Amino acid sequence: MIARRLLVFFLAMCLAMPSRAADLPRPFDAATPAALARDFAGKPYILAFWSLECVHCQGELRLFARQLKTRPDLPLVLVAADSPELAPAIAARLAEVGLDPVAHWAFADPLPERVRFAVDRKWRGELPRTYFFDAAHRAKAITGELREAQLSAWVAENHK
Amino acid sequence: MRLPLGLLVLFLALLLVLVPAARAEHGGPAATPAPGGMWAARMKAAKPLAISAAFDERGRLWLVRVERGHVLLEVSEDGGNRFAEPVRVNPEPEAVSADGENRPKLAIAANGTVHVSWTVSLPRPYTGHVRYSRSTDGGRSFSTPVTVNDDLAEVSHRFDALAVDGDRVVLAWLDGRDRKAALDAGRDYAGSALYYAVSSDGGATFQANRHFAEHTCECCRVALGWQGDQPVALWRHVYPGDIRDFALAALDGAAAPRRVSDDDWLLQGCPHHGGALSADAKGALHLVWYTQGKTRQGLFYRRLERDVLSEPMKFGNDEAQAGHATVLATGKMVTLAWSEFDGKAYSVWIRQSPDGGRTWQAPCRILTSEGAADYPLLVARGDQSWLVWNSEREGVRALPLEGADSGADS
Repeated sequence: MIARRLLVFFLAMCLAMPSRAADLPRPFDAATPAALARDFAGKPYILAFWSLECVHCQGELRLFARQLKTRPDLPLVLVAADSPELAPAIAARLAEVGLDPVAHWAFADPLPERVRFAVDRKWRGELPRTYFFDAAHRAKAITGELREAQLSAWVAENHK
Repeated sequence: MRLPLGLLVLFLALLLVLVPAARAEHGGPAATPAPGGMWAARMKAAKPLAISAAFDERGRLWLVRVERGHVLLEVSEDGGNRFAEPVRVNPEPEAVSADGENRPKLAIAANGTVHVSWTVSLPRPYTGHVRYSRSTDGGRSFSTPVTVNDDLAEVSHRFDALAVDGDRVVLAWLDGRDRKAALDAGRDYAGSALYYAVSSDGGATFQANRHFAEHTCECCRVALGWQGDQPVALWRHVYPGDIRDFALAALDGAAAPRRVSDDDWLLQGCPHHGGALSADAKGALHLVWYTQGKTRQGLFYRRLERDVLSEPMKFGNDEAQAGHATVLATGKMVTLAWSEFDGKAYSVWIRQSPDGGRTWQAPCRILTSEGAADYPLLVARGDQSWLVWNSEREGVRALPLEGADSGADS
């Protein structure tokens, strides 16, 4: 009974405080890519991976921060390839680059290869790694820091 | 997002438990912990899987691992079945990097001196110091650890590599001091730099740091070995235009670094995926590396023999994230080992050449694990190649590889 009440309490907390919830990464595991594809059925979206330990990811995070200022509806799924244990560090880094608050995910699997296998079997973990999905969910993968022109071109074509 | 309710609740509960615990280490619940501080706290608490191993001349297997900020040394008299009680290398716990490309390093000199190096992370992201300690009493006690990089700015001195030959101890690492100087002066700087330090008295003292190469990739391990009495290094370089291919050089030599992969991998990022090298008795160098270049993609092997590079040979399954390859030459045998992940389990594969890298036997899956796992290691025991692999469920497994065939599949 207590467990159930706690559950209801947590859920109520989540619903009541969406801005607080933005501090917390959502768990991203091997089932998440398929779930995202269902959530975005018929719609384009961007799946972008970064990490606290990735030197070249910071510029890309800043690019997303700038883009979200002019296009707050950018369908961005931002995933830290870090453990959810690092939630405070992840939130702090996102705030630092001007991405606060934003919905974000973190790898929730002790086997990062299992998560990557579900995203893209050939992906060995290079970061940053960005997947542009069009409305038919055809993916274009980009490794390395995304350039402003690449993001703008995708937005112009897919997210009018 | 449609996630199972139970998972969501479990996740929230975990966060409620973990977040305050992490914050408590950083002076008060109101303080937002600095990312670097979080890393340090996590590393000090962790028991990572990343290890290094080496045989001594008597055939004992030594390994170093990290637990709660301590580098621990263990020795096995029976080829890795049982290990003696661990000995602490560093008396004070530190934020020791141990996560794949970073691991404590170990080398046993012919006279029995045990040399250990590691990287300690500093609070700012992407920064660290290279640390070193040795034991001259057979691993019973260790010297007070010293910081080997003589630049103590809070920049990167990480991805240490260690090589020992008699009384010569060489430590090489990726160094951020040149980058910082350039940025401070308002100039751009691609990547990091390769620095090294030499001891000629068995690790008692190190000479001044030496700058060796500019513009290395920032986060790929450096491979270091001996070609005769020359220390040689293999690293991922940043060639003009952000091309991240591999360079090879003798550290004491006058020759300029040689580009040994022409993969043309244009990347504004770091793959966290370094190469490996091994010299054979005749002086040929055997190299393995990973690339996603325009020219070729995947894992590759080639050798440098009498100044001629062989054609790159591809190995590993691209559909199973084949990666983290290593290479070892023992006698005429050259062994490659790498890891794959098939969606459910990790496996370690090997491929062997009995004629110095000219012809190759079929690839062979040697070990598997369904839990978290370290990269595979190849270790020489005299003229014999051994595979050493640490995984969460099975612990450290060590086995000799000569004569391995597909019948050894497990």
